[in-house]
Amino acid sequence: MNIKKMLTILFVPVFAMIFSIDLGYARDVGFDDEEIRVGQWGPQTGPAAPWGAVARGTKLLFDLINEEGGIHGRKINYFIRDDQYNPSQTMAAVRDLVDRRGVFAFVGGVGTAPGLAVQSFLRQNEIVWVGVCTGARAFQNNPWLWQIWPDYFDEGAILAIHAAENLKFKKIAYMYQNDDWGADARVGIEAVLKRNNIKLLAAIPVEPTERDLSSQIARLQATGADAVIGIMAPTQAAIALRTSVSVGFKTQWLHSYNLCDFPLMNHITEGLWAREGVMTAAFTDNIDADTPIMNRYREAAKRLAPKERWGLFYTAGIAAAEPLVWALQAAGKDLSKEKVRDALNSITKRQGIGPVITWTKDSHLPPRQLRIWKCGPKGETIVVQDWKTITLESGK
Amino acid sequence: MDMKRDYYEDIELFKSGTILFWSILFVAALFVAPLFLSNYHLYLFNLVMVHVIVAVGLNILVGSTGQIALGHAGFFAIGAYGTVLLMTKLGLPFFPAIVIAAFISAFFGFILGLPALRLEGPYLAIATLAFGLAIMHIIGHTELFGGRQGLTAPVLNIGISQWGLNWVIKTELGKYYLILIFTIIMVLLAINILKTRAGRAFVAIRDSDIAAEVIGINLTMYKTLAFAVSSFFAGIAGGLFAFVLGFFDPFTFNLILSIIFLVMVVVGGLGSVMGSIAGATLITYLMYDLLKNVDEVPIVGNLLVAFSGKFLTTTGIDNFNLVALGLVMIGIIIFEPLGMFGAWIRIKKYWKTWPF
Repeated sequence: MNIKKMLTILFVPVFAMIFSIDLGYARDVGFDDEEIRVGQWGPQTGPAAPWGAVARGTKLLFDLINEEGGIHGRKINYFIRDDQYNPSQTMAAVRDLVDRRGVFAFVGGVGTAPGLAVQSFLRQNEIVWVGVCTGARAFQNNPWLWQIWPDYFDEGAILAIHAAENLKFKKIAYMYQNDDWGADARVGIEAVLKRNNIKLLAAIPVEPTERDLSSQIARLQATGADAVIGIMAPTQAAIALRTSVSVGFKTQWLHSYNLCDFPLMNHITEGLWAREGVMTAAFTDNIDADTPIMNRYREAAKRLAPKERWGLFYTAGIAAAEPLVWALQAAGKDLSKEKVRDALNSITKRQGIGPVITWTKDSHLPPRQLRIWKCGPKGETIVVQDWKTITLESGK
Repeated sequence: MDMKRDYYEDIELFKSGTILFWSILFVAALFVAPLFLSNYHLYLFNLVMVHVIVAVGLNILVGSTGQIALGHAGFFAIGAYGTVLLMTKLGLPFFPAIVIAAFISAFFGFILGLPALRLEGPYLAIATLAFGLAIMHIIGHTELFGGRQGLTAPVLNIGISQWGLNWVIKTELGKYYLILIFTIIMVLLAINILKTRAGRAFVAIRDSDIAAEVIGINLTMYKTLAFAVSSFFAGIAGGLFAFVLGFFDPFTFNLILSIIFLVMVVVGGLGSVMGSIAGATLITYLMYDLLKNVDEVPIVGNLLVAFSGKFLTTTGIDNFNLVALGLVMIGIIIFEPLGMFGAWIRIKKYWKTWPF
């Protein structure tokens, strides 16, 4: 019998089998005596794949907790779903996890658009959601969402504070990705500059798909700026730096916290990142910090996830998951959704490897603490401004 | 059995009583299916049906008229943005909004059809591809369209609020029935178009445009018409998609989506309406469901996890999904150039003559 004939005959039974597998789920509570089900979406493939490390970093924390016996005897059963940064896939993944696996809580979730697509669904279903991984301001006030990623307003503010108040630069320009990220950060930058009586020399937009930035750099060079604050994606930051070095434009670059993975940035700029001493905002502990908690995670990563690169997004995934773990521990043996909610609402001035977190019943806003790092000559992290709380009125 | 004795038999909607019977049974099954499905499955079905409408429309252009199109995500986007903006900014009720949005989409299809008169093959592919990309960027740049931040769909009210008639659809189930009715209408429309004068003109153009022109078919009219009709389908689908997802940004309608639409048509079977339905269903199911959960399929799943853990990087399984999707496409094209429709014909023949 030839292959075609065999495939023809097998077609019906094989399909019936696959479909029957698909229907075989019927769980609807988020936890039982054995396990607590937690999920996260994140781009593991596609153009945004480098940020997928966040979801895997969370896995490390949960694996570590499970290894130590779980939380009050319950293991954490953790699901990662690849959404390729595509909202329709995020929605499918989230519904799958909520409706079929009975997920109790979500951690993180990279990206503004994927998060916006599922926010109403998660809210309606009262699913605990600790920290969407974006600083965009478009998220509703949701009693079940606790935000952890710093607001882009605050990010702009800390960069401007460092440039204008710590380093005393007077000639500051701004180069930004032409979307809400760039716009939100700009408000923060201008608020800080205003109180120092400084005007932005120029604000120059970049399209997310642009790859030739020579005209933008020429305009920046013409302003003679001593410092340029950049809010853009890694690829463009690398191109911008390379172009400015090649045309002899000497300036201090200060970039977003999304670019504070120095080994990565140094790699894609072929060492320029370190040579130019680029500074970035940051909101976690330094990845090679010698603190007990960081050492514990680093050891765990070597043991439990030897293939992973110990990088910034990976540790950010740990930072995003810490508050949920604290809340589950505080909620006690007799677990319920309401208890976890109340535990999250009463986290006060607690710090893991991220910023100090305080949430109350009325405010689930992200922490307003950030730091500034500088890339040292060997690509190492130098902390030039430790945790600083932004006190400016952000309008949120 | 398939012999036609007169012309009218050829243009009947259902070729035989058997087909009519099974079609009715199939539709009836779709109407009662929600009784057995979870909310997650309803979402998946809604997505499948939206993709079916696009694929059936695209097939009129690619399969029946023989024009390549790589920009259908653009028309899909026009439908989605058009419907939502007409509802929120102008306060139009849902039904007029979606139909007007689809006509806007059809108008753009007509415009894009004009260069198609002079372009063929790869040149046409590039022209349509550029259109799809341009739409994505124009939307991303314009404040009215919500910029890159995207838009949130309003409450799905299919009544006319101005007259005090409100019929708000909130549940996944409600959306399922709404989209199902749209899908049935659009599929019947597609089958009918192919049986009219225009449909025959499309096929003639595909087979040989010079011969078609010689026998008196107006190429200008029918080529642009094929583009317009196909974009109309994509527009309707886009309008429904806006409410299935509830939120969308320009990146949702990227180049990959255009290619996926084309894949649905080719995998399903060029020139066959039933093939497009099957293709859209299979590809959507693979992309959104089976391949996402491949690690839980018995035996195969464990093997893959073990293999990935040993030899691949940390995202091995996720990347495997994309590879598997590609393999399915390649496999179908190699073994069955007529797509799933071709496979269906062979299965039918085999069982009809069983056991010989």
